[in-house]
Amino acid sequence: MNTRFLGLELRRAVRNGRYLIFTVVLPSVMFVLFVNLYGDGEGTFPNGLPVTTSLMMNMALFGVMAGPLSIGARIAVERGLGWQRQLRLTPLTGAGYLTTKGALGMLVGLPGILLVCVIGAVEGVRMDAPHWFGVLATLWLGAIPFVLLGIVIGLIATPDGMQAVTGLASMLFGLLGGIWIPADVAPAWLAGIMKALPTFWVKQLTQAPFVSGVDVKQALLVIALWVAGLSVIAVRRYRAQN
Amino acid sequence: MTETAVRAGAAVALSGLRKRFGEVRAVDGVDLVISPGEVVALLGPNGAGKSTTVDMLLGLSVPDAGEIRVFGKSPRDAVVAGQISAMLQSGALLDDATVAEVVGLIAALHLKPMPVAQALRQAGIADLAGRRCTKLSGGQKQRVRFALALVCEPDLLVLDEPTVAMDVETRRAFWQQMRAYTDTGRTVLFATHYLDEAEEYADRVVLMRSGRIVADGSVAQVRATVSGRTLRAVVPGAADLDLPGVRAVERRGDQIMLTCSDSDAAVRALLTRYPHAHDIEITALGLEDAFLALTGEDNR
Repeated sequence: MNTRFLGLELRRAVRNGRYLIFTVVLPSVMFVLFVNLYGDGEGTFPNGLPVTTSLMMNMALFGVMAGPLSIGARIAVERGLGWQRQLRLTPLTGAGYLTTKGALGMLVGLPGILLVCVIGAVEGVRMDAPHWFGVLATLWLGAIPFVLLGIVIGLIATPDGMQAVTGLASMLFGLLGGIWIPADVAPAWLAGIMKALPTFWVKQLTQAPFVSGVDVKQALLVIALWVAGLSVIAVRRYRAQN
Repeated sequence: MTETAVRAGAAVALSGLRKRFGEVRAVDGVDLVISPGEVVALLGPNGAGKSTTVDMLLGLSVPDAGEIRVFGKSPRDAVVAGQISAMLQSGALLDDATVAEVVGLIAALHLKPMPVAQALRQAGIADLAGRRCTKLSGGQKQRVRFALALVCEPDLLVLDEPTVAMDVETRRAFWQQMRAYTDTGRTVLFATHYLDEAEEYADRVVLMRSGRIVADGSVAQVRATVSGRTLRAVVPGAADLDLPGVRAVERRGDQIMLTCSDSDAAVRALLTRYPHAHDIEITALGLEDAFLALTGEDNR
């Protein structure tokens, strides 16, 4: 991987005002909004997780999705511009391009997660250091399927259709993934769909140390399947275009 | 030198190159050898197959048949080695990055780039280094693309319609920089619509039509493939212009224009028949006439 390439990509992402608002700030704003909506944050969900902690995880998860998806959108724009053609006149390989975009997606997702957790601590979420670390690490690694999803969308959608596809994807993976509504209250058929999405299982993994009954094995299996499937699509799609 | 020897040392060797898009044979059997140091213009009307040929030469698309060698290597290997680079017609710049950043990035991806400042200077845009790419004019963008192509110090530079967005003055300045570059012995292949550019800057002209090469040689040679001259005159009351050595007649009032295969015979016969003919002007056919004659079938 070329670090200069990654460096410039990062600088461009940070320079983009929309990135800062939607992927870094928005999850935290939503979090504060929800905490105030649900009262003083003293309550506890039936599964034993404090309301504030659960909301924090959900909104961090929202951030985990938003950042990487925005990176995908940029791939579509660059494709439309013909920038990829320019890159193909350099020694940069397809693998180099895709891993750089992947690393970028991971880095771009991080500030939003961190900010939500910092605000969580301010709002009264309490856990010991290893648990904080575990939550952060799980959320961050949970970004992997969404980074790949962003890349796949970026390689398939047109620059014009990008906005709609990204919106649809964050709706699908957010709403149906259980960020906004818990799977427990969904009818069986809907719960079935929710449990097929990586969002649901990343959330399960994040909660695993605090609640009982999380099927870690199944969580890892579903997420691994998404990662593998999306990787294959991304590589094939990139090859087909070049 | 035998043909194989020429091919072995060639900057570009295309043989039997074919590419089709659905029913359209975009490139239909192209053979071309370019020696190191040549400056070659690739001419042809829209849809002649120029861009498709250039894309395959750069490894951006794969031919259906035929072989491409760039300094004896595959196009991709030549790209990786920094021996070939191109100024793409639609080559985009990143809107949210500065000129220096974009050129710096492409430089960083190459194995042996020249310093970014030098590339900017050679492309005549040293003063634009800190400018965002969105704030550039069409001609300035072209020069940034030129810097992107220069930065790997290629031995073969491919330019696809390089001056298309430039005004006359910028075009001239661009070609001056280009000439400074080719004077160092680099090979250049440029596709263009502007025949005067080909006439002025190319050692050799390759004319394409319908996916094939229809003429290949120096400007003078290509011109000569359409032999003949044009005779213009004012002939009051001219009725019969069926003269020896004349291929085609065009008239507008008393003004006549004769396309001649033998203008000497034509002018003698004209003056014998119409002694009052005046304002006689005989001109050689230009590259443009050759171009139209050789590529005209497409437009009919």
